[in-house]
Amino acid sequence: MIKQKMKKIFPIITLVIFLTSILTAQDAKEIIKKSDELIKSESSYAEVSMTIIKTDWSRTVGMKMWALEPDYAIIYITEPARDKGSVTLKRKKEVWNWIPTAQKVIKIPPSMMLQSWMGSDFTNDDLVKESSLINDYAHTIVGEEKFNGYDCYKIESIPKLDAGVVWGRLLTWISKEEYYQLKVEFYDEDDFIVKSYLGSDIKELGGRIIPAHWEMIPVDRPGEKTIFDYHGIEFNYNVNESFFSEQNMKRVR
Amino acid sequence: MLLALAWKNIWRNKKRSLIILVAITLGLWAGLFSVAVMIGSWDTTVNSTIDRNLSHIQIHTKEFKDESLISFFIPDGNNISDEISDLKEVKDVSARVLIEGMASSPSSSRGVNIIGIDPDREKNVTTIENYIVEGEYFNGIKRNPILVGKKLADKLGLKLHSKIVLSFQSVDTTLTYAAFRIVGIYKTESTPFDEAHIFVRKSDLYKTMNSQPIINEIAIRLNSSEYLDTTYTLLKEKYSSLFVESWKDLAPELEMTYEFLIVEMQIFLGIILAALLFGITNTMLMSVLDRVREFGVLIAVGMKRIRVFLLIMIETIILSLFGGIIGMALGTFTIWYFSDKGIDLSLFSEGLSAWGMPTILYPILPLYFYGVLTTMIIITGILAAVYPSIKTIKLRPADAIRTYG
Amino acid sequence: MNTYFHLAWRNLWRNKRRTLIASASVFFAVFFALAMRSMQEGSYDYMVDASVSMYTGYIQVHAKEYWDKRSIDKSMEISSVKIEQIDSIKHITLVTPRLESFSLISYGNVTKVASVVGIDPEKENLMTDLKSKLISGVYLSDNSKGVMIAEGLAKSLKVEIGDSIVLYGQGYHGITAAAQVQVDGIVKFTLPALNKSMVYLSLEYSQWLYSAPNRITSLSLMIDEASELDEVHSEVSNLFNEKYEVMTWPELMPELVQGIEVDNAGGIIMLGILYVIIGFGIFGTVMMMTAERTKEFGILISVGMKKWRLSLVSLLESLFLSFIGVLAGIIVSIPILYYLNQNPIPLTGEMAELMLKFGLDPIVPFRFAPNIFIDQFLTVIIIAMISALYPLSFIRKLNPVKAIRK
Repeated sequence: MIKQKMKKIFPIITLVIFLTSILTAQDAKEIIKKSDELIKSESSYAEVSMTIIKTDWSRTVGMKMWALEPDYAIIYITEPARDKGSVTLKRKKEVWNWIPTAQKVIKIPPSMMLQSWMGSDFTNDDLVKESSLINDYAHTIVGEEKFNGYDCYKIESIPKLDAGVVWGRLLTWISKEEYYQLKVEFYDEDDFIVKSYLGSDIKELGGRIIPAHWEMIPVDRPGEKTIFDYHGIEFNYNVNESFFSEQNMKRVR
Repeated sequence: MLLALAWKNIWRNKKRSLIILVAITLGLWAGLFSVAVMIGSWDTTVNSTIDRNLSHIQIHTKEFKDESLISFFIPDGNNISDEISDLKEVKDVSARVLIEGMASSPSSSRGVNIIGIDPDREKNVTTIENYIVEGEYFNGIKRNPILVGKKLADKLGLKLHSKIVLSFQSVDTTLTYAAFRIVGIYKTESTPFDEAHIFVRKSDLYKTMNSQPIINEIAIRLNSSEYLDTTYTLLKEKYSSLFVESWKDLAPELEMTYEFLIVEMQIFLGIILAALLFGITNTMLMSVLDRVREFGVLIAVGMKRIRVFLLIMIETIILSLFGGIIGMALGTFTIWYFSDKGIDLSLFSEGLSAWGMPTILYPILPLYFYGVLTTMIIITGILAAVYPSIKTIKLRPADAIRTYG
Repeated sequence: MNTYFHLAWRNLWRNKRRTLIASASVFFAVFFALAMRSMQEGSYDYMVDASVSMYTGYIQVHAKEYWDKRSIDKSMEISSVKIEQIDSIKHITLVTPRLESFSLISYGNVTKVASVVGIDPEKENLMTDLKSKLISGVYLSDNSKGVMIAEGLAKSLKVEIGDSIVLYGQGYHGITAAAQVQVDGIVKFTLPALNKSMVYLSLEYSQWLYSAPNRITSLSLMIDEASELDEVHSEVSNLFNEKYEVMTWPELMPELVQGIEVDNAGGIIMLGILYVIIGFGIFGTVMMMTAERTKEFGILISVGMKKWRLSLVSLLESLFLSFIGVLAGIIVSIPILYYLNQNPIPLTGEMAELMLKFGLDPIVPFRFAPNIFIDQFLTVIIIAMISALYPLSFIRKLNPVKAIRK
């Protein structure tokens, strides 16, 4: 008798677990999506400072960024003096630089794509890479934690089989209520943490409440990091494709 | 009659005849073997480069030579490469995809040359399989296996079975990313080579790019370097719209070392011949000194001096000829033996024994040299006899007979 | 003992002709062995020298990790005092500074990646003969603000002398390096890899361009004797602490090592073959000489000289002969080899043309060094003494009665 009942219950339990996990997975993906949408919009304008900190030097680059996701962006450097007036243009997967001292536009050849951009740890390649977080990974909620005073979902993202991403897995902390991306940890395949992103200084920017201070910390190079500080953002900025042209590179201010 | 006398003289003094015979034999053997070693050492160096990646002949499109973009593929490449592999001089052909791209790991990225191959065919054309130090040659990983050099793996902080992401501009110029897994790690003598070249299956590349099976490069391995010039001319004519190059075009510095080798060889042969000349002359002088009494008697009983001279010369000619034949046989045998087994050079050089891989020298001697060297040695032997013979016939018979022999 | 010496010595001079011929065989042996070895070692030195003077030099000093990372961030500052110290080390002939990086070079619509090197124009020329590669325009001077670019690069960009190209890349500590510079000269290299990518600036200007004041990425050192490499290397290393790396050419160009060593090993085999021949020359002569003295030995033994005494005298004779021959050989060789070392045999024809194309001197080089003489001296003496064993065994087996009757 009991055996028969077990036989019936067993598949039901399995089904419940299965459905729950799908839901959870969907939830995880939804959560990631929402937190992504919070800080992005189809078009935007932002004023940002990037601070590069190395063990023996550091440098701050001020810039204005116009973007039409996901294919177009123009970045105008406002400081330091030696770089002021330089412009980087991204169109789809190609990158151009405008060099004011030489009055010339140079297209970055593929072999230079992995050279660092503006001296930072980001490469030209990083600029054109699509944020593949949502689609190239399978996401699951693995826990709930408090981080920096916020209750967060802890989501694990594992790359799909053919995805061209170097990571073994990612761990993301997203605040439950507001969907702030507060921390992301990047692990290699041997499960060693290679770098982490931290978001903080939550404030109002462009009508939304989001982290304004971002740090990228390479774990294997202690004492180094790259910091982004957003001073102002306009979401859904009125701009179209024609803005992102070689001619316009020379004109933006 | 002189001939008969000469023959008898040879047998009368076995020791002396033996020495001269052996001198000629040794001289010829030395000449043949040393030339074979010299040519072999150059051949070995060239061959190891050809085998590693250069191949005997390479074909690309003219545009590809200027800018190595994957979009400059060889039209009808696969058919052409099949045609070429049917030629009897050709051992096999490797049709490759070449892309300049980037390889990334969690810690670092590097620019690389991505070489898409058919692993089975590639084995017949280059020897990269022999340089594998860890893992296997395309065996053990089913999805997107990749072969990387040790230097690159170290730079990227990767090991066997690690994931490595390649990014490159595909045929339709879009930037493509794909994950591969390290199935084997190789190490050659050239660290720059190891750092820059990675090997994947063509089929995996086509799948990633969603493209036709195009190829950028045809690399040809001949059955023997003898066929190089003829095959090169043939292919150049047949595929005039394409850019055909031999290893001499691809690595001109290698050809220069060949020219240098020829000069070196001439000089060394000169030295060896001179040494032989003096050695035989000396021996003959000594021997003539030994036979002073004998010749004195001959002249005293009326043999014309010129005939004595001829007598000695004939003796020497006979000995030289025999020496030549035996020397050639000895040379042929040793060259054949070592060209099979090879000489392990690390026995002779500390610098080389530090290398992980044994450096083997295979002596080689083109047929032409056999004839030339044999003739030279025999002539040397005969020349060596001239001076002692002349000295002999200047003898005063009376003094000669009285010599305390 | 003295008696034996006297006897041996007198025997030699009793029959001058025989002695002369015998020692001549040793003389020629030494001479040929010396000539061959001098040429082999000379060509080894020559190949190393030709290779290192193409670019790297015999020894390089960098900041630690530069060679691995090749980043301008791993550049260094070297005081002129330090440079003087290096200069004063024995055998060092040249100390050349460079600031290397790579940048984009652009003209019109074409952009290429270039290896940019800031050089001390005169020193660079002394080391790599760069001036001779200039095919048009003007060679750089210390304060030039222009560039010299490789011919292949000039062709791809379609630039000519006087045109202005844009250099764009990253300098020290991430600062952007960008400038418009004039093409002052075009240089041509035989190696396509260099011909398609080299760009030269004056060191001063490159340091400004890359925001790297007073900094260099490498010091390349040239020495006059390739065989002194290790000694010089340790002396130079002593001048630098662990923040620097001092590397020798085998470490900088390991693939070159193999090529040269294969050649060297082949040369040793050749030398071995030569030894066989000259060994035989000596042996043959000795054998004949012994045969010629059969009667003499026979008589000596039959009048009572003990065989072992005769052997001893024979041995001494051989020793004297060998020494006379070897010493004569060395004495004659010294001035000849020295002359050839200073005035190498020039090559002509196709071979010479090919070498010139690569910027090499078309010559057959000879090395003049004590080790060559010592090595060959010992080897030939040993060969001669081995040959001397023959008369000993001959004497042992000698039947005096038969000998006299010969």
